[in-house]
Amino acid sequence: MFDEFETPEPDEAVKLALRRIDEATARGEGSDADGLAFNEVVVNMGPQHPSTHGVLRLVVTLDGELVKDVIPVIGYLHRCKEKLAERRTYFQYIPIVDRTEYVAGINCEWAYVMTVEKLAGIRPTRRAEFIRVITGELMRIASHLVAVGTFTADLSPLGTAMVFYMFRDREVILDLLEELTGARMMFNYFRFGGVRYDLPDGWVEKCRAFLKKMPKLMREYESLVDDNAIFLQRTQGKGVITQQDVVDYGITGPNARASAVALDLRRTRPYSVYPELDFEVCTLEHGDVFDRYKVRMNEMRESVKIIEQALDMLPRGPVQVGSLRAPYVITPPPGSCYVGQENPRGEYGTYIESDGSRYPYRLKYRDPCFCNLQIFPKLLSGNKIADAVAISGSIDLVLGGIDR
Amino acid sequence: MGLEIGTHPMSMDDIASLLAERFAAEFHHVRVQEPDTVVARCAREDLAAVARSLKEHPEVGYETLNWIAGVDHVKHFESVYHVYSWKTNTYLELHVEVPRATPEIDTVTGVWPAADWHERESFDMVGIVYTGHPDLRRILLKDDFVGHPLRKDYVDLAENHPHV
Amino acid sequence: MDILLAILRALVFVVIAYMVVFVAALVNIVFERRVLAFMQDRHGPNRTGPHGVLQSIADAFKMMGKEDFRPLLADPVLFTLAPVMVMIGAVAVQLVLPYTAGITATDLNVGVIFIVAITSFTTVSILLGGWSSRNKYSLVGALRAAAQMISYEIPMILGLIVVVMVVGSFSVSAVVEAQAGFQWIAFYAPFTFLIFYIASIAELNRGPFDLPESESELVSGYGTEYSGMRFGMFFLNEYAGMTIMSMVAVTLFFGGWQGPYDGAVVFWGVSWLGLIWFILKTYVLVFALVWIRLSLPRLQVDQLMGFAWKILIPLGLVNILATAAIMLWVPSWKWGLAVFSWVALLTFVGLFDPILKFRLRKQRERQPVVSA
Repeated sequence: MFDEFETPEPDEAVKLALRRIDEATARGEGSDADGLAFNEVVVNMGPQHPSTHGVLRLVVTLDGELVKDVIPVIGYLHRCKEKLAERRTYFQYIPIVDRTEYVAGINCEWAYVMTVEKLAGIRPTRRAEFIRVITGELMRIASHLVAVGTFTADLSPLGTAMVFYMFRDREVILDLLEELTGARMMFNYFRFGGVRYDLPDGWVEKCRAFLKKMPKLMREYESLVDDNAIFLQRTQGKGVITQQDVVDYGITGPNARASAVALDLRRTRPYSVYPELDFEVCTLEHGDVFDRYKVRMNEMRESVKIIEQALDMLPRGPVQVGSLRAPYVITPPPGSCYVGQENPRGEYGTYIESDGSRYPYRLKYRDPCFCNLQIFPKLLSGNKIADAVAISGSIDLVLGGIDR
Repeated sequence: MGLEIGTHPMSMDDIASLLAERFAAEFHHVRVQEPDTVVARCAREDLAAVARSLKEHPEVGYETLNWIAGVDHVKHFESVYHVYSWKTNTYLELHVEVPRATPEIDTVTGVWPAADWHERESFDMVGIVYTGHPDLRRILLKDDFVGHPLRKDYVDLAENHPHV
Repeated sequence: MDILLAILRALVFVVIAYMVVFVAALVNIVFERRVLAFMQDRHGPNRTGPHGVLQSIADAFKMMGKEDFRPLLADPVLFTLAPVMVMIGAVAVQLVLPYTAGITATDLNVGVIFIVAITSFTTVSILLGGWSSRNKYSLVGALRAAAQMISYEIPMILGLIVVVMVVGSFSVSAVVEAQAGFQWIAFYAPFTFLIFYIASIAELNRGPFDLPESESELVSGYGTEYSGMRFGMFFLNEYAGMTIMSMVAVTLFFGGWQGPYDGAVVFWGVSWLGLIWFILKTYVLVFALVWIRLSLPRLQVDQLMGFAWKILIPLGLVNILATAAIMLWVPSWKWGLAVFSWVALLTFVGLFDPILKFRLRKQRERQPVVSA
């Protein structure tokens, strides 16, 4: 009867998991008092799964309900962006950068554009800098809405309601950006030396109206979740990232800030016009799932403050350096440059080596989710599966950036 | 409390001269790239010792690894390490040349645990082998992929597309 | 001749019971989806039929059209039997409930005990389904579901004991008649109703107690290996159970079919207005079930069991003791019971959340802060 089965050959990740179980058995761990073998099972939380955000595959070694080990397998969304850069001019590459961390496209474009501007020695106009800050922070709010919404959706049907409310508000932001750039998600908006379009009439008023509504909405979301004892029990004390982890693994962004590490590149490595804007770096102390969620909520409030200040300080002037048309072909002098920025998920940067031609010689992304994902095995082990789902949701992964 | 940023601020030139002095034998071409990066080159034999000393240096301890990139300069490969110092809030970009014929270099996962996946990606894309790495296998491409795409002489092979 | 009539009558009632179960399940599916959607600021299914009322029928057809297979190693008899058995509880319970004045399939003089006993059928068939799937995770899910359902039957019974004490009889129609003239048990023993209601939500695997079937966890529990109409049976049973349990609650606590002017329209010996009141009250409770499901995050397995054993059961026991004491020693015991029950209800509802929050805050203060 068993000949009818054709068990597929396990792939490398599963083989590794099985090898680790064998090694642990050989070391004498885990067999129970009667000397029976391990009770562990290797299960695939496959690339398609409702609660792994994106095509992330987790090979989980489970002992009953406890997670013993997690091997993340990535690459299901690999689109060879770094190789694509070698065949495209710097200008042709801008739309492609959007698509790495597609939830926060503007911030990704900004990092790339800033790197090339540094290499080529182009300084963007002042008005453009402010518009960049405004759109970047709007994108940060939208990205955090997605992150918090999907995270609460993993926990309960209550969260499914929260997702819809948060997405409804994200629609307003996407409408604003669509009016400005023509696209809701893949903006292709930044140019070397500025931005493509100036703010249309009435945009500033609409933006201000939205910002006025935000604090009330934020209080509504927080009241649905923070006052809920069940939610608090499921998130407090779970999935703690220690400061040693932050140092060892290069964790950045809200994940680090929830562990009392005040690492915000807008302050530690200031760029654009952030030195002139007044905002706080939101940190919290416990480093658990609840604090990561809270840091994101607080950051949304700070972003509202930043946008209001930027709108007040918006100067007149051109939004692009030079003539009306962008420089289509730029040839930066030979050299290399790395610029890291504060993406909603952490430090996102591009390292570009130029050999003086129209095409980049080497483009390398520093992606925050790639670095944050390395801590998964350590963070999820020893937790129950349901907690593992909550913890992985709180890290806020976007597979587009991990796989590029 | 806890982890502070920028407790020992130093000017970039000071850091550059400090490093040039401390690693006079191992580093060549130490220069400052504004606003906050020191760029240096190092030979691959010295990498293990240098990495450990960099991390444990009392004044500019580079405790966090930001990224590792593998680059194919046609005559040789290069492994670029970008590390961050919390005390001075500055970066160091270390370029290590790797000969094309024997693309092997020591791993730094013992010094910076974050190097794990970065080295795997460098191996996957450029083919630099990091000796001593706990689990060096492909990370972004499928396990039985043939070739290393980010090399300049990479040609798309039919074996990588069996179902087309 | 009498025997033939009796058999015919029994058959008619069984058919009606099955019809009620299926129709209620189909209606509840659409009802829940639309109500959930409106609460989430979206529309929900509104294309099939006017306002989407035919959505369930479309879903049923889809489910019937799926390939019917079973895993090779699954036990052939039990795997097929489990979904068939699962609806027996829901159907059989209705046979003792009066839909309206005088219409009961059989007026057992131990009706309340019968209700409690028969609702355990669902537990058995879930266990059967999980075990016969020959899948470790189905078994774990089924065991968890069974543990939850068994634990929460006790508070349910404790609540029903108070009802029986107050009415003085186990017969369901006696309970309904004792609530004549708006003397609904939920009005003078609301604390008992609360205990019973929370326990019944957990019995149904609904709302915050739906861990056995949570979708975003690793596997889908006892139903993992089931697909198509086999799974449809489990699914329909869950939704039918919403209505059936609400019917039980309405009958025992809210006066069943009684309401203003319930004797007004009598046709063919059936009081139709009473039937309408019954359906209306049932659907108010069903709406409450949907509302509760949306508003609360899912409880974890330890929180669930802790709540049943450490909170509901002691409260249920205290409730019985107090009711008995009041009935024995307080003249005009209905008023005494009402006072006690309302005070108990308000105290419990008022104090539970603050105490829980206080303990969570203390726990948070003791939680170590992250350090290097």
